[in-house]
Amino acid sequence: MGILRDEARKLSGTLRQRTAEPELDEEIQFHLDMQTAKNVRLGMSEEEARRAALVSFGGLDRFKEEARDEYRSRPLEDLVQDLRYGVRSALGAPLFTLLAVLTLALGIGANAAVFGVVKSVLLDALPYARADRLVRISMGTQDGTMQRSGVSAGAFVDIAERQRSFTRVTPFFNGVDNLVYSGEGGPQVLTFTQVGPGFFQTLGVKAPLGRTLTDADAGAEDLVVLLSHGAWQRLFAGDPRALGRTLRLNGRPRKLVGVLPRGFVGPMGDADVWLPLDLRPTLSDPVHARRRHWLGLVGRLAPGATLERARRELDVIAADLAREHPDADAGHVFTPEPLRDSMVGETRTPLLLLLASAGLVLLITCANLAAALLSRTLSRRQEFAVRVALGAGRGRLVRQLLTESCLLAAAGGAAGLLLAELGLATVRGFALPLPAYASLSLDPVAVAVMSLIAVVTGLAFGLVPALAAGRANPQGALREGTRGASESRRTRRLRGVLVAAQIALCVSLLAGAGLLARSLWAMSTAPLGFNPDGVLAVTLQFPSHEYDKKAVLLRFYERFTERLRALPGVTGVAGVSELPSPVMNRNGLAIQGVTWPEKDSPPFITYVSVSDDYFRAMGIPLLQGRTFGPADRPDTTTAIVVSQSMAKRYWPDGGAIGARIRMGPDVDAPWFEVVGIVGDVRNDPARPEPEPEAYGSSRQDIWMGTFLIRTQGDPRSLLRSVRRELAAIDPEMAMSRSMPLRDYVAEKLAGRRLPVLLMTGFGALALLLASVGVYAMFASMVAAREREFGLRVVLGSTRQAIAALVLWAGAAWMAAGLAGGAIGIVVVTRLLRNLLFGVPPFDPVALGVSVAALLACATVALLVPLRRATRIDPINVIRV
Amino acid sequence: MNPKNKGDLLQGTLDMLVLKALELEPMHGWGITERIEQWSEKVLQVNQGSLYPALYRLQRQGWINSSWKTTENNRRARYYALTAAGRRQLAAERESWERLSAAVNLVMGMSTA
Repeated sequence: MGILRDEARKLSGTLRQRTAEPELDEEIQFHLDMQTAKNVRLGMSEEEARRAALVSFGGLDRFKEEARDEYRSRPLEDLVQDLRYGVRSALGAPLFTLLAVLTLALGIGANAAVFGVVKSVLLDALPYARADRLVRISMGTQDGTMQRSGVSAGAFVDIAERQRSFTRVTPFFNGVDNLVYSGEGGPQVLTFTQVGPGFFQTLGVKAPLGRTLTDADAGAEDLVVLLSHGAWQRLFAGDPRALGRTLRLNGRPRKLVGVLPRGFVGPMGDADVWLPLDLRPTLSDPVHARRRHWLGLVGRLAPGATLERARRELDVIAADLAREHPDADAGHVFTPEPLRDSMVGETRTPLLLLLASAGLVLLITCANLAAALLSRTLSRRQEFAVRVALGAGRGRLVRQLLTESCLLAAAGGAAGLLLAELGLATVRGFALPLPAYASLSLDPVAVAVMSLIAVVTGLAFGLVPALAAGRANPQGALREGTRGASESRRTRRLRGVLVAAQIALCVSLLAGAGLLARSLWAMSTAPLGFNPDGVLAVTLQFPSHEYDKKAVLLRFYERFTERLRALPGVTGVAGVSELPSPVMNRNGLAIQGVTWPEKDSPPFITYVSVSDDYFRAMGIPLLQGRTFGPADRPDTTTAIVVSQSMAKRYWPDGGAIGARIRMGPDVDAPWFEVVGIVGDVRNDPARPEPEPEAYGSSRQDIWMGTFLIRTQGDPRSLLRSVRRELAAIDPEMAMSRSMPLRDYVAEKLAGRRLPVLLMTGFGALALLLASVGVYAMFASMVAAREREFGLRVVLGSTRQAIAALVLWAGAAWMAAGLAGGAIGIVVVTRLLRNLLFGVPPFDPVALGVSVAALLACATVALLVPLRRATRIDPINVIRV
Repeated sequence: MNPKNKGDLLQGTLDMLVLKALELEPMHGWGITERIEQWSEKVLQVNQGSLYPALYRLQRQGWINSSWKTTENNRRARYYALTAAGRRQLAAERESWERLSAAVNLVMGMSTA
């Protein structure tokens, strides 16, 4: 049967190649004709003569195949043949192939997905021209209590005039806010930001439709506006005729002069509406000019200038300003930072962590496949020996093994790409705290890098068994016969090392995942200091200048609060200037009788303005003194409530109540008085320590945007009636956000959840792979020593003794793996230290669970081969 | 293989014989088999199945080269010609063959009476 198939294959090969070798055919034809002619001369009939000629030639096709063998060196044909063998041998071992492709797909898929994210955040070009020359300048205090803060308008003007390192420094509103657009379909809340003169020129961004802003737009009579590409699509369906139309924004008509490119986002984030920023009103206000730190600055390095030079220059300017304006600028530093770094911000660590995890998974994948290929090569030793004996060159054999590996890698890579797409789609589903410019996609470069990983992986895990096969001694292998060929010491050790490495990597990953999961658990269960359950938070957008007047605002607050209180089920209503969040308003603190050290700036303390019922509605306990009430009026002394940790820090010996302090930019304001101490609140649920915080009364500091409504039922069910009450007071009023406070808090933790989920996923993946590795090690060890075990049984060994033998051989490597894992754990915990919360780095629970999980899986994995070892039937094994 | 009592070619000698056949003039494959048969007085019959692989092998080693020419009967045929390297190879093989056959003759000529 084999011969027939061979002949058929050769014949089909000949047919396929016929066109490629007309010369060979012609030459043979010529030979046959000559031979036939000679036969005729010798007296045969024509027909007989031809047949005799053919016979003398032997099998025509076989001859051609041999001739071809001699004729060329054939890299392409060899490759095709190798691939054919590869596919055939892969199909011949479906389980192995499935396992290998799946393992690879998971390893490569995980890496491609994570790499797609990392690349779009850390490597992709920012949407600006020559973005590597762009620098963000921020302000901080020398003592470090404030970092990456905004810059005051006055300081900006001074920096812009004195610096020589930048071609231009341009200011922008360091954030995104809401405004109301009165369009045809009723009021809509849009996001907006403001940018100073030269902003788009500095970034090197041009408007594809209309123009960007010019220096003349700031403070000009004609109000103008730019739209983002997305907003233009949404509001005007991408109609170019929208250019020149007038939009009513916060009650003011503004002319649309341009649309920004698709994909453009500012250093402050994405916004629908871009307005010119006019600093003149701020600069003419003596208090706000130097004391409100709200501007973001971005500059383009001048030709030849470096970041280092800019840093030195800014240090000099900061020192000069501290001298010139000691009351406003003392203790301040200005720090330049590459724009990308400032935009990547805190995402870098989790991303690199993910990349490292994915890399570990890939390593485990490789180790696993190396081990699998190794045992497959061993079981194919006979086949290789036969081929070497039949004349296959060893180089050729190695090449074929490598081809097989690459074939597997290609299949695994393709499947991995699919998985990566799925993975990215899942990741997109999370509200990720990634920089606004990052698009999560598998772009061509990511795919190219991925394919490279696949090929390198194939080569890497193909090489080990291939080298072993290259050394194979055909005579030895053939003589050993079909059975009983024990693994050599060398390959056994190699496999042991591979399994140990997998276990070490797996334990490290699991420990990391465990620590992160415990942190997340601690974050979401640790008391926040307030009770977010049963509270609906509604943030309002005040539509027009009407509400700039304090009296109007106050009247609105009263009416709205009254109406909300009357709603059924509502047990409390309160207002606050800002919901707890990681980034909050901070005011400088002055205490009567206390001078901060000469060169220091005053400490900056989180400050919010709250209504009388705020503490009750939020469930923040009053510890000492009082909260706010009707007695606090604009004409009485400003009352301040401080948090426990603020009281402890600034009045460690007590005496906070009654202390005279001042907060905010106005240094000439009358002293405030501390009237109460309340419990601490963790504004950032991802941070363990509460920050010092101060509260002012909304009766005195009229500044409220968010209403908190506590109810007995589901906060969500209140929404409709809240909307109705709001419309009853002012139909122009829009809600920019409304959600249960619990959801709001959970949203702040969403960014923490993804690394935990992914790392746990990677950990599970690693566990699965390592279990497969352990199984493969024991299975092939048992298979290789079957005859030995059979002999032992014949010679009187008990099954327990054999089980012990197997366990002992494998357990040593597992122990080595765990020991290696201990080192891995130390490395992982060092990497994770900054991400941990409420969990010690060597948390016994996390570490114990991860080691236990691994041991449990490994035990299950070794049970099957162990069972097989103890059930060996000596008769079958001994008979040869 | 060959039932007739013809001389089977000693392994490796075919290449030498082909080189020798081409020593005088370029020839096509069929001509080579005819010449070897003729010179060996029909003792040596070159198996065509071995001849062509040998020709390609020699060609790859650079000892012969080939070109298409027209025969006296006006047919196209591939002609093989000896290269300079082939001539040196022929000389070397002839020398080692003579040494070998002389040695074999010595052994076979020993009287064992």
